[in-house]
Amino acid sequence: MNKLPLLFVGILCVFATSWIGLVAYPYVKLGHLEPAVTKDGQLVPAPLTASAVAGERVYAANGCIYCHSQQVRPAWLSTDIEKGWGPRQTVARDYAGQRPGFLGTMRTGPDLTNVAVRRPDPAWHFQHLCEPDVATPGSIMPAFRFLFKVQPVHGAPSADAVAVSGPHAPPAGMEVVPTQEARDLVAYLLSLKHTDPLPEAAQP
Amino acid sequence: MDAGIVLLVLGLVLLSGSALAAFCWAARNGQFENLDEAPEVIFDESEPVGQTSDRFPEARRRS
Amino acid sequence: MSDLLRPLESDSAVERAEIDRSLRAPVLFFMATGIVWLLLGSVLGTLAAFKMSFPHLLDSEDWLTFGRVRPAHLNMVIYGWASAVGIGVGIWLMGRLCRVVLRHRGLLLAAGVVWNLGVAAGTIGILAGESRSIEWLEFPGWATPILFVAYALIGTWGVIMFRYRQPGHVYVSQWYLLAAFLWFPWLYATANILLIWQPIQGSATGAVNWWFAHNVLGLWFTPIGIASAYYMIPKVLGRPIHSYYLSILGFWSLALFYSWNGMHHLIGGPFPAWMVSASVVASVMMFIPVIAVAINHHLTMRGHFDALKWSPTLRFTVLGAMTYTLVSFQGSLMANPAPNNLTHFTDYTVGHAHLGLYGFFTMTMFGAMYYIVPRLVGREWPSATMIRWHFWLAATGIALMVATLTLGGFLQGLELNDPQSSFLASLQVAAPFRLIRAASGILLSAAHLVFAVLFLWMLLGRGERRATPTLLAESSVPAV
Repeated sequence: MNKLPLLFVGILCVFATSWIGLVAYPYVKLGHLEPAVTKDGQLVPAPLTASAVAGERVYAANGCIYCHSQQVRPAWLSTDIEKGWGPRQTVARDYAGQRPGFLGTMRTGPDLTNVAVRRPDPAWHFQHLCEPDVATPGSIMPAFRFLFKVQPVHGAPSADAVAVSGPHAPPAGMEVVPTQEARDLVAYLLSLKHTDPLPEAAQP
Repeated sequence: MDAGIVLLVLGLVLLSGSALAAFCWAARNGQFENLDEAPEVIFDESEPVGQTSDRFPEARRRS
Repeated sequence: MSDLLRPLESDSAVERAEIDRSLRAPVLFFMATGIVWLLLGSVLGTLAAFKMSFPHLLDSEDWLTFGRVRPAHLNMVIYGWASAVGIGVGIWLMGRLCRVVLRHRGLLLAAGVVWNLGVAAGTIGILAGESRSIEWLEFPGWATPILFVAYALIGTWGVIMFRYRQPGHVYVSQWYLLAAFLWFPWLYATANILLIWQPIQGSATGAVNWWFAHNVLGLWFTPIGIASAYYMIPKVLGRPIHSYYLSILGFWSLALFYSWNGMHHLIGGPFPAWMVSASVVASVMMFIPVIAVAINHHLTMRGHFDALKWSPTLRFTVLGAMTYTLVSFQGSLMANPAPNNLTHFTDYTVGHAHLGLYGFFTMTMFGAMYYIVPRLVGREWPSATMIRWHFWLAATGIALMVATLTLGGFLQGLELNDPQSSFLASLQVAAPFRLIRAASGILLSAAHLVFAVLFLWMLLGRGERRATPTLLAESSVPAV
């Protein structure tokens, strides 16, 4: 069986090419993408505020990816766009700057690529994180009450007091306010908008 | 060309190089001949071909 | 180096006993710690599953939130249980097949301790909120190097055992094990460097992430599981493997095709089409090695399936091997864009993952342990009834889990893909299946408790002592 060394070399080359194709190539081609610049000088995707960058860490720490995806698949392959997850598919440049990219692989909860378009109000997000099944009936998302604190009301209620109405509503004279972590997370969620056209993915 | 990719290419070369070396050695060492005897290496005089070697505990006590 | 290993007595039974005695401490250590992580991991997994049906369950503490419990479960069972027991079984197989006595096993034990410290540290890190949310690699960056250092020692030992083996043929299991020992550090180092230490950005992380995760399945766990099946099935039956040529084909085609599969987790994602297409093609080509292994095992077993009645090892191993065929066929089909459209993002994928890691790998490892442990402790398993309980609880549990996740996931996918359907509909249709799935976690946890008790009894010397050095008595049952 003297052909075997030759066979082996062939197999080895293919295994090595998988490394080149799936690791080295994405690293080189996709790993250093910069945002595109539109005609009026806007960056797409827009850079994140410092709070949103901190919010990415809160997103990672609490495992949001295990229920939420962040990718809109193309129309020829899926009904994502018809379903309203976004006006166009997401491309590599949409994730430029994310370390790691939060693509996710589950839709136990809705896709979040364009959640800032569907839910632009931070007050809704704060309430949803505190009591998801009150904000969206039927939701199985766990409550993230530990991202909030209960404090006494001093005179007038705080501007960002959360309107919690369910079983964990604060007693009289107390209010629920977001911690910095909650603020950062919501800042990040409000940055999730990938509707502007990119050179690789024009609007349909 | 940063440290990450240099390390990885080095790793790739070292690992595949050693695998290739291992294979060439195996070929030279005669591992790919006598393939009809090869499956019998797991047997020997005290656990020969044709003899089973596992039991549920009670079954053996009965026999 | 050769003083680490020495030549053996020529009497084969004594030789085997010497090898087993030298391997006893490290192999039992990896198995014992593996079982502890299996118990903890099953409990955490069951908890995570119940949280999906009862979202308010234990929801006030941050370290118990679903998004932390779920990755903690995953990493405990992958690194704490599956990798550890795989290492234990792999070392024993390598020792037996190379026919070398292991010396300086203190070093292997030390590596095992370090490995477990790494797993513990990483798990605590995830629960404390330090996870980076990189699937299969959630341990924080300060914990993963601990695992790598421990592994370096373990992998080196495996290669050294191979290097100093007795002259003669190298059995197919040894190829698979050697390959697994060499592939794993490459995967782990690459993923750690590119995703954690010098993180790349954006969608490239998806590509590397799934190259890593899928290859851990196919180039680390699969070879160890197949190596075990290739040894246990013929050894227990007393019949050599049917076709050595098929086993060679199976090994090299696995090596050829498997590593390209990773991108099938990201079909439709933001990647060049050729990357995803290559993965789909490679996923379908996997039919070749899977069928080769299936034919080989089947033809070896043919006419002897009654062995499943009297051999615990074969009962678990053959079920595991058949599941390997099933889950691989399922995977090859799921990787095609049309079915993938329906199954992507749903519980269906979770069912597939458990079918592979539990139905194939874990069951095969249970089978291996039922063969190996008596030979290491010098005793027979104390209770056949408990072995049966272990088997039926585990088999029923995994069947129920996979059935509910598969059917529920399919229905969930139909709703998710229907533009007229609300998102809530996908939750409602999956809900009853998720509840039953959570209950199946209780069955599995119970199975593991039974096995843990059996294992502990063996360690404590409650089994029947054998007079001969290599356990299991004179075969008074005629060869079938």
